[in-house]
Amino acid sequence: MEKKLDLELKTYEKNKQNLLKSDRGKFVLIEGNLIIGTYDTYDDAIKIGIDKFGSKPFLVKQILEVEPTGNFTSNLIRVAQSCLQ
Amino acid sequence: MPSVTIDSSDLYKEGPALEVHFLIPIELEKKLKEKGEEIPAPVIVKSLIDTGASNCVVKKEIPEKLKLEPTGIININTPSSKDHECYQYFMRMVIPTHGITYQGPFIAASLDGQEIAGLIGRDLLKHGILIYIGYKNQFTLSMA
Repeated sequence: MEKKLDLELKTYEKNKQNLLKSDRGKFVLIEGNLIIGTYDTYDDAIKIGIDKFGSKPFLVKQILEVEPTGNFTSNLIRVAQSCLQ
Repeated sequence: MPSVTIDSSDLYKEGPALEVHFLIPIELEKKLKEKGEEIPAPVIVKSLIDTGASNCVVKKEIPEKLKLEPTGIININTPSSKDHECYQYFMRMVIPTHGITYQGPFIAASLDGQEIAGLIGRDLLKHGILIYIGYKNQFTLSMA
């Protein structure tokens, strides 16, 4: 089964190098295979996404060379199963 | 600055946990209201303030109940895993009795077997003040 946002992530990867050149550090809004725009803040990108697409899926991602990770020092999160199910 | 002070029966055992309401983002609520669509009811759960968590986390069932779609995917590292992919959802967290509201990304993950259904991480805490008074079994969270 295709995971949610798969198409949007592929669109990001396809355009990542160009986005890094033009808008590094900004936040890109992607719906399907379309790049809607790049914005200075996460909130701006999200709000425009909600305005345009409502409850439909869209991706907001900061344009960075190295992907940021979330770090957790305790074992409160159960990782035995996929988070993407 | 709105704040909430909790007197815990045993802060050492329970940790700084408090009841919070999770809702859809205010912008989405307005949009649904304009269209005359149903607004999902708030999900009320206990969350733990976790300074060891870089990001806020909710149980996977919460965004499902709110009928939200993910807006991102993030890799997480825990003591027992590396680069575990999780969805992120843009959500609103409210403590209505104290006027505290935060909107931001929440990682959806399994917190099975835990009494708590959310972690309040440093991405939220960077906007506020956390005071932990162990000997008084009391903590205070203030949010800008």
